[in-house]
Formats: sequence, structure tokens, C-alpha cells
Amino acid sequence: MLQFSSALIQSGVDGLPTRSGSVKYINQIIVAMLSKAAASASKFQFWRFTLTKFRIWHHFTSNRETTESLIMDLDAPLDFENDDPLLPSPAVNKKRKKIIGAKAQKDYDSDEDENDKEALLSNIVNSCQNQMEDIKVEEEISEWGLQVFGNQKKPPHLDFPKRGSCSLLQSFINNEINTLVELTTDEGETFFEGLLVNGWLSKLVLSSCEVEKSIANWTFNLILYSSKEELRESACEFWCAILSCKNEIDSLPVKIDWFPSFSELNKALVAYGFSYDFSSTGKSVSTDSGCRGPPKNLIAWLKFVAACCRVRSKKSIFSTKEAENLVEVVTCLFLDHQLQGLSVILYECMHSAISYFTDQEWDTSCEKIAKSLACRVPKDLNCLRIVDCISGVNNRCKHLRSAVAYQILVVLFSNKATSEEEILNLLIKINVKDKSCDLFRMYIYLLLTENWLLSYPKLEEKPVINEMWGVYLRSCSCLISSTDMRPYASKVRNKASYLLQGPTNK
Amino acid sequence: MARGSNRTGVEENTLAILESIEADDTQDANDDRLAFLEAVSAASFAPEIPVPPTSKMYEAVFQILRVGNSLELMMSSYQLLSDLDKHFPQVYVSKSSAGESHELVVADEVWSPFTISSDVASNTRRAGRENSGGPLDFSGFTLLIEELAEVANVKSVKEMKTEHLRNMLLFQYLAHFLEGDFLPRNIMYEETMNWTILRESLLNMLLGSRRMNYKNLMKDCLSILCELYHVHTGISNDHEYLENSIVKPSEDCNTALAFAFLEVGKSTCIAMQKLLITIMELDSSKKIADIKGQTTRTDGVRTPLLEIILDELTYNVDILWPFLQVFNQPKWKLEIIVQYFLKYTAKPSIRARRSNGSVDDATFNGLLNSFSNDTSAKNIVKKINIGTIQLLLAHGFQAHLSLSSQHIEGILDSKDEQTESSLVEICKNMICAFQCLRRTDEKMEILPIVREALFTAATILSTN
Repeated sequence: MLQFSSALIQSGVDGLPTRSGSVKYINQIIVAMLSKAAASASKFQFWRFTLTKFRIWHHFTSNRETTESLIMDLDAPLDFENDDPLLPSPAVNKKRKKIIGAKAQKDYDSDEDENDKEALLSNIVNSCQNQMEDIKVEEEISEWGLQVFGNQKKPPHLDFPKRGSCSLLQSFINNEINTLVELTTDEGETFFEGLLVNGWLSKLVLSSCEVEKSIANWTFNLILYSSKEELRESACEFWCAILSCKNEIDSLPVKIDWFPSFSELNKALVAYGFSYDFSSTGKSVSTDSGCRGPPKNLIAWLKFVAACCRVRSKKSIFSTKEAENLVEVVTCLFLDHQLQGLSVILYECMHSAISYFTDQEWDTSCEKIAKSLACRVPKDLNCLRIVDCISGVNNRCKHLRSAVAYQILVVLFSNKATSEEEILNLLIKINVKDKSCDLFRMYIYLLLTENWLLSYPKLEEKPVINEMWGVYLRSCSCLISSTDMRPYASKVRNKASYLLQGPTNK
Repeated sequence: MARGSNRTGVEENTLAILESIEADDTQDANDDRLAFLEAVSAASFAPEIPVPPTSKMYEAVFQILRVGNSLELMMSSYQLLSDLDKHFPQVYVSKSSAGESHELVVADEVWSPFTISSDVASNTRRAGRENSGGPLDFSGFTLLIEELAEVANVKSVKEMKTEHLRNMLLFQYLAHFLEGDFLPRNIMYEETMNWTILRESLLNMLLGSRRMNYKNLMKDCLSILCELYHVHTGISNDHEYLENSIVKPSEDCNTALAFAFLEVGKSTCIAMQKLLITIMELDSSKKIADIKGQTTRTDGVRTPLLEIILDELTYNVDILWPFLQVFNQPKWKLEIIVQYFLKYTAKPSIRARRSNGSVDDATFNGLLNSFSNDTSAKNIVKKINIGTIQLLLAHGFQAHLSLSSQHIEGILDSKDEQTESSLVEICKNMICAFQCLRRTDEKMEILPIVREALFTAATILSTN
């Protein structure tokens, strides 16, 4: 009993009635245990355990025994206290608590009749059973996902080039054909929007081989800030067309009087609500003002950045540092659940940004990007997601993927390891049999190491790495028994045995 | 041989991940599926020399795309299939060892998202097929198109469902697959004039299936293309949605769907256009084969898609505007526009001779010339609605400009007939045509897109 109550008190349930044996009390215990389970990210085993206890308890009370003696009897140690919450994502916890709490509370209120203990208790057991089913489904759901975007800022006002600054418009007004078209300067903006949306603007530019500043600037701002899909999409296509025109090898065929800069792209991203400060946007987003980003302009933003990156051989729009920054930003966008549907363009943009670097630049830049990403990403399932989203279809991507996985490992071990062998040494030293061993963390280590070594360039030269990797895998796959009920135990074991048999472990 | 046994091992290991799935719709099951996709990707791309997955692995990935119920699973399986197709094309043209000539290479172990079997067999199998997640047969493809038509009817963000997204992704993949199978074959056909290569293309077999109502299917495709364009631009401007998007975790899902819809909707439009173009290319090659007497009775007779499109554009006035707006491949767009006019203006004998492309009327410049004097312009206006004429000429002019810029870039062969007339001449004739139309009808209201076209023509003339 004491242990039971102390467990409840530890779990933060205050004001437990001292009177035992009352149905109310038992109900309260259930509520408390439900919240406890929620708070500790839920343990399926714990629930099974609880349910068994209640079954026995139910049996005894139906036989009109006192609850007190019963609970005393059942004071088997509750070992769930040993299991620390496994880096649960706060958002998930909150959600779960709410669902479970609400249900249990209802059961509690719905039957106040203390005389009908029998019915009530079977209710309790049933509800407990149901909860267990629910929990079973929810068990081990901790998901990746961050709010990469906070609230949007008000977009700047979009100005159409002032009268006289757009020579394209000016020169036509006096053209004799204007008797047919009847264009006036006042309707300049609407008319040019039409030219843009219907694709004429790029045709004009490609035939004159020149883009004047006012047009370049106007269309660029439409991409970043226009609220009309047609306009941002067309503006983006316009830029892609003029940038990607193929008839010159080492210079752009179209003379562009004005080029966008990284700082402007970055400014737009900030206006969309982007922030590297994931944790703060993740928890508390003020609901009072504005709406959460990003706006749909992000799609055009991504396509535009990709197009800019692809013309490196003709024109370097970004500095190396800026390009590194772009790769980081795009990688982080993968962490936002909202943007899952954009994965195709996110991949495209990431590939373009990665191929922006010259071969000489790449090795250093790859290292820098990996280190910076490793520091930024939260050390939960998000760090696996960030590695997964760097698709390994070409050598540079593989390289980056491996580097990011390695750097996250370094950070996870608080920079204690200074070499690759040391990392593996630390991994091997972890005793998976130890009850306090955090298997969730182990799971993360395992997957990170897999990704790090999967396309590790020096594996052939360093057989010791490969050997240590094998030792680590065997410890994960052999030392965790198949009856181990700890969360993530089966995941770690299965993954390790898969990798042991797999082609990657040569 | 060593490689072969290694692949079997990989296959067993990766598929084992899926076999352990017990309950179907749990997060655990989805995690396992994602782990499987990752494993296939790693097994294929991580080795120094990438190794294609086995048929069974392909099939399992495809199945995840077909029945997967989360956005993440759909996007990941789609992405993986696209990556695999890009890296391991099943059919491609390679330089033969002899040097000059090319040869068609078909991969040893071909996996296909389609099951090609005799019509009877597929008929009996149909009962158990529903959503099994396996390869599609011909009726499965028809069903998919019908379901896409449903997507095209979605009017607001609220009506969007994850299944819609899945159908669009599935369709995109299939369209790319059909194209990937057809293009190298068509290149080889043009070089060797061996019709068998094209007869064996998936697309030809698909369209030739008697289980499919080809004409209706094509009409559906056409209307989906036009409707999706509306949906796409409509939903993206659904401001009611954007303004209401105050942060609640539950809305993440909706926002994700809205973003996905915007992008996937657009790419589905592009895929649909690609499918139609591929079919028209197949039609032209088949026509050549017909003329050369290479086809037999077993090849069957099929109305060329171009004719179906022309009929639809003629009798279903509502889709003319969206079609011209969304269909942007210049070569076929120009062809459609020129043929549209010829349908009304040309004498039957000229239409028959059109196949060799030597008749001047059949070029865009020829078309513009028929508006160069008042009498002939008047004649055409009597036959075709003036608004339609304006629309067609403006779009034709734009397609011509696109072609000539591709021509400059060297993408197209210089012998292409449509680009032969100089840009300046076309611009002059364009302006001339509208001056002529204005004379025939003083009150003619010039459409916005025509004003834009004339602005463009005049500006090009003044700079050149």
C-alpha cells in the first residue's frame, strides 16, 4: 500500500484520501495511475501489471474481503519507477494525458453508487482493459517533428515599378500598335501581371536577352511575398526560365540587371516565421497574434533557391558560407510535419544546394554543415529524421549523411570522444542488460552509427572500425533477450540483428 | 553469380522487416514500413556501385505506395520508387559495341507496376484484386483514373483526403513509368523502323486492351487535366483556410495536406499532360507503321488521341480555355491549334495530305496567313466564334515563341517545320491578323491574352 501510494505521490497526484477501501479511492488510483502512465510516456507492461492487480483485487472484493488487506497483499514491488521517461516529446505527452485523463474522469463521475461495487468494479476493470488497448496502440509513439515555423510577420507591401522606371512598358505606350491594344500606364500593374501569368514576360526577355532591374526586382518580390498562387508560381517559372536557358555554357544568355541576394532570401524566411530556435517555437506559440508560418510562398522560395543553385557554373549567386547555410535551412525544413507533402521539392532543393559547391569547397563545407546541424537538432527522434532526409542517392549526399550522423553522435556523447574509434568504444561499453540502460537512446545510437558507417569512405582502410561495429551489433542483438519487455528493446535487437546479417556489414 | 546470391540475401533481410508486422494500422507497423523503405534505399544506393532491388522488393515498395495510409509513407515510397527508376531504368538505349548504331536494353529482371496478362485472365482475377496493393491490371488503371476524377472535384481544403493524395502520387508514378518505358523504344523505332519494339511497349499494350474503354478513358484524362488546374489554383487561394490556421497540433495534419495538395496537384497536372503527349507520340509512330504496312490486324484500330482532343475542344466549349491554359508543351499545342482551324477551314483533300507536313496551311504561319486578307478572315469568322479564334491565335503565337526559343537553344532539330518562318515574320503576321479581324468586326472586344500577345509581338519587332 505504502509503495503504491508513494508511487502515486511521486507521480504528482496530490490530496489522496487517507481512507482506504472506498471505491472512490480506487477510482482515484486509476485516474492517478493513468496520469502517471501518461507522464512517463506510458509502459505497456506497466499497464498489464496494473490490470492484473485490479483483477485480483476485484476478485477479492467480490468476496467481500477488505480492500486494505488485499492491497497489502499485493504490495509487490512496482519497478516502473526505475524506468525513466525516454526523452518523450512534450507535445506527445500532453496529448496523451488529455485523452486518457478525460476518459478516466468520466468513468469516475458516471457512477457514484457505492453500493453497487460489483458493477462499478467490473466497469473499472473494463475501462482499464480499454485503456490498455489504447495504450498498446499508442505505446512507443514518440514521433519526430518540430515546429520549424513560428508566427508569420506581415509581408512587405509589393510595389510595382513606378511610372517611368519600366522601359518595357514605357516604350510600348507610343507604339502604333497600341491603337489596337489601348494600354495606359495606369493599368501597368494588372497588365504586367497578365504578361507574367500567361508566360509572355519570359518570351520577351528571352528574345531581347535582357531583364531590366525593375522587372527582376518586381518578380522576385512576387515570389517571396505575393499571396496569389498564380503570381508567385509564374514569377518563379519566369526566373527559372531566364536562369536555366541553355544556349551558353559559361555565362548566362540573358543579361540580368539585378540579382537577388542571400540576405533577401533569408529575410523572407524570417518573415515566414522560420527560426532555428526550435525548442521555443515548439512549446509555446502565441495564439493571440498572426498565424503560424510558413505561407505557401515557401514552395516558390524553394524552387527559386534550387534554380539559383543550379546556375553556379554561370553565375555564383551565393557565397560558400551562404550556400552552407541554405543546405542547413532546407534540411531543417524536413523536421516540420506540415511540410511532409513537399518532400519532392525539398529533396530537389537540397540536391541543388549540395551540388552548388565546387569539389574543393565540398569537403570543408560538408564538415561545417554537419557540425552545425548536429548542434541544432534536438537529440530525440528528430536527429534520426534529419539523417534519413538526406537521401543517399549520390556521393555528396552520402558523404553529408554520414558526416551528420557522426557529428550527432559526437554531440550525444558530449564531445567526450575525439576520434571515431573512441565513439565506438563508448558504444561498446554500454551495458544493454543494465536495467537503467536507456534503450531509446541506444536505438538512436544504433541508427546513427549505421548511417555513419553505411557510406563511410574509409571503412576499407580501417578494419578496426568495422570490427568494433560488429562487436557493438552483437552486443545489441545477443545481449537483449527476446522476452525483454523494456520499450525499444525489441527495436534495438531487431535492428542490430538485421544489420548483422545485412549487406552493409561486410 | 556472387552478386545474385547477395541480392537474394538482401531481399530476405529487408522483406523480413515487413513480415514482422502484426497489426496493420498501428504506428509500429508504419514505423516498420518506413524502416523497410530505408533499408531498400540503403541496400540499393549505399554500395559503391548501386544495386537495383529485386522484383519482390520493388513490389513491396509499390504496395506501400498503394495502401499506405500516412502522408509520410506515401511520400517516402513515392520518392523511393522515383529514385529507383531514375537510377535503374528498366528500358534504355545504349550505344552498341559496333559503334554508330544503338540498341535497346531491357533489364534482366523486369518489375512492372502493371500486370499484363490476357484479357480473360485479368477478368477472372478481378474479383480479388480490389486494393490488394499489387500491380495494377488494365481495369485497375481505369479505376484509378475514375478516382482521380473525384480528386478533380474537390472544391476546398476541407474536402481533401489522404486517399486523394495517394491516388495522385500513384498516377504520377505510373505515368512516369509508362513514359520511361516508351521513350527509349520510340527512339529505337525511329532509328530502326522496327514496329515490334513499340508494339511491346507497356503503353501500347495498355491502350490496346479490350478491357478498357479507351475513348472514355481519354476523355476522363482530358477533363481531369483541366479540372485539376482549377483545383490547384483554387485551393491555393483558399484564404479562408490560411487565415484560420491558428496553431493547434491537430491542424498540422490539415496544413500538411494543404501543402501536399498544392504541390502534388500541380505535378499531377504535369504528369497527366505527359501521359497525353506520350500517347500522341505513340499515335504518330503507329501511323507511320500503318503507312509502312508494319502493323497487322492484331494491332487493332484506335482513334488517335489528337482527334479525340480536337472533338472534345470543339464540342465541349467549357474546357477550351482551361485546356489551353494548362497544356503548355509547345509542339503538340501548336499542332492541336493548327488542326483545330483546319477542321473548319481546310478542304478534305488537304487534310488527308497533312500527314507529311508539307502543306503550308498546316503551319502556324500558314494559319496566320489565312487571316491576312479581309475576305478569308471573314470566312473563318463565319465558321468559328471570334472569341475562340482570338484565344487560339494568342496561344498558338505563344507556343510558336516557345518553340523558336527552344530552337535557338538547340533543343529541337533545325528541320522542324514550325520554326522555319522567322520570328519577325510571325510577329508581323500576328499583328496583321488582328488588324484584319478588327476591320471585319469594328466592335470586336480584344481578349486580355490577345492584348498581351500583341504587346509581345510589337515589343519583339521593335527590339529586333
